[in-house]
Amino acid sequence: MSGVVVIGLFEGVEKAAGAGDALRALPLPEEKITTISSVPLPDGAVCRDTRPIRFPRITLVGWFVGALAGFALALGTYLLYPLITGGKAIISVPPTLIVTYEVAMLGALIGTVVAGFREMGLMRFRKQIIHDPRIQEGKILVCATVEPGEQAQRAIEALSAAGGIDVRSEEGET
Amino acid sequence: MSGGDHLARTDQAALYHELTRSNLPATRRWFLVTGLLALVALWGAGCFIYMMKTGMGVTGLNRPVFWGSFISSFVFWIGLSHSGTLISAILRLTNATWRAPILRGAEAMTAFTLMVGGLFPLIHIGRNWRFYYMIPYPNSRQLWPNLRSPLMWDAVAINTYLLGSLTFLYFGMIPDLAIARDHATGWRKKFYAVLALGFRGSHGEWRRYHVASTIFAILIIPVAVSVHSIVGWDFAMAKVPGWHSTIFAPYFVTGAIFSGIAGVVLVMATLRKVYSLERVLTTVQFENLGKLLCMMSLLWGYFYFAEFLTVWYNRNPEEWEVFRSYGGHYLPLWLSMVVCNFVVPFPLLCMRRVRRSVPALCLVSLLVVAGMYAERFLIVVPSLARRNIPFIWHNYFPSWVEFSVLAGALAMFLLLYTVFAKLFPIMAVSDIQERLFQATDRTMGGATVETLAREGSGEGGHG
Repeated sequence: MSGVVVIGLFEGVEKAAGAGDALRALPLPEEKITTISSVPLPDGAVCRDTRPIRFPRITLVGWFVGALAGFALALGTYLLYPLITGGKAIISVPPTLIVTYEVAMLGALIGTVVAGFREMGLMRFRKQIIHDPRIQEGKILVCATVEPGEQAQRAIEALSAAGGIDVRSEEGET
Repeated sequence: MSGGDHLARTDQAALYHELTRSNLPATRRWFLVTGLLALVALWGAGCFIYMMKTGMGVTGLNRPVFWGSFISSFVFWIGLSHSGTLISAILRLTNATWRAPILRGAEAMTAFTLMVGGLFPLIHIGRNWRFYYMIPYPNSRQLWPNLRSPLMWDAVAINTYLLGSLTFLYFGMIPDLAIARDHATGWRKKFYAVLALGFRGSHGEWRRYHVASTIFAILIIPVAVSVHSIVGWDFAMAKVPGWHSTIFAPYFVTGAIFSGIAGVVLVMATLRKVYSLERVLTTVQFENLGKLLCMMSLLWGYFYFAEFLTVWYNRNPEEWEVFRSYGGHYLPLWLSMVVCNFVVPFPLLCMRRVRRSVPALCLVSLLVVAGMYAERFLIVVPSLARRNIPFIWHNYFPSWVEFSVLAGALAMFLLLYTVFAKLFPIMAVSDIQERLFQATDRTMGGATVETLAREGSGEGGHG
């Protein structure tokens, strides 16, 4: 989410939770509020993740694509380079299952990485993203994407009143 | 992570510096150790080139033993790789609270043992420059790998496992790279910034990171099991006495996990000692690894006895000759295997005192690693040495070239690990921080106990 972002640093979860409540009371919708922290916070402690997590579906798609590729590799090998051995079938089922399984798992792993990175919003090197290295001291950064002007001002006041340190507004993505 | 010197009472920046001591600028001693390892690895590589130029005759391999120390080492190293990622995945899925300090070290071990293990079939193949024959690509000679061969299943499985393990290692490291980026200066800051891919620790990122980690863990467990099953099938599919057995796949997986856990203990103990991580890698981790090792020793003994009993009762002459050779030419090796894998470790590991003593556990783990190498050798060599009719029976002993390559491989593993520990956080910093974040002391009557908060399915916070 990009635009004007109001941010404030908080000592501990309790204060950050108070800031979250203050932002919601403005009122700001849940999806506009997030935290940045060095440890994962329970969902609902400060804010809620309203975006659905969809990438496990891509894992499944990756699995099927991999299975298809493995099956095609095994089957194509039998048909294009047949090994004619007396009393043996050209197409052999157990090796096909093994190769299909391994390539399917590879597909699922690759699918998870690609979709996971994408949904996590990683590799946005060119974009200006909101961050404050002071979270590594145990602080929690509470961020709210707001409309510039009055809403931004009210959000700054709310975060300051909740005990925020270095409350400010920045242009960027949360 | 309990007791008076509680990690949770350490501030986050100090904790980070404690956990990343391995990333401090290299000392003279580090360069000395790394240089020595590089020399041994180069010596091994030189011997491999010598073998390539001169021919396989410089090895001890001869009719009928054409699979020797290289294949034994391949099975051994792939087995060692089973520790890290598999254990890490199981511990993640079961939410074992003691897991955090061993995750990274174990996962890195998997990646590097796989890299080293994967080299052995390439070293072994003879005309090494034609290794690309194994890769399926259209070529003018109409060459194509035979996917009906278990060796090709191996190639596919090991590549899947290597890619999966590297991804698992890297993905798990992203939050730590972000932490390192925020702490570092100079070239390291840029290095970590690129590798962290812009991870900041937003609520959404953490949630997706955990889901992805869980999916990885779920996916990597069956891959790990399949890899060593397939290594077992490399042998079991052949009509060679001593190999052609249905028990081989689960037996190989058990042996792999057994040696792998021993490997993890050794790696963790070394990291603990070298980087003074006694507050993080406590006796809790070692005791739990000791329990796992004890269980695997029992399981290994059970499998071995089951296999032995069947052959002993049946007395199928071809198979029995292989087993008889264990009591003859291979007796020292066989005794080493049984003593190092079961007779000594099992009773010792039943004792809490041994499991809680890091030096004692290291000694037992060292025995297990040695015993498992002996086991791999005894699987590969005697079956070939007693194959077919007796006039071609021949015993095998590795040549100096083979010993040099094996030493080079070990040095390469240690070198990779040492360099990795220097460049990357060797402790899973964010996992440890998360564990400490969830921990609180609670008074229960006269005792103070550590309790852990865990996010469940219940609703929390604002409505």
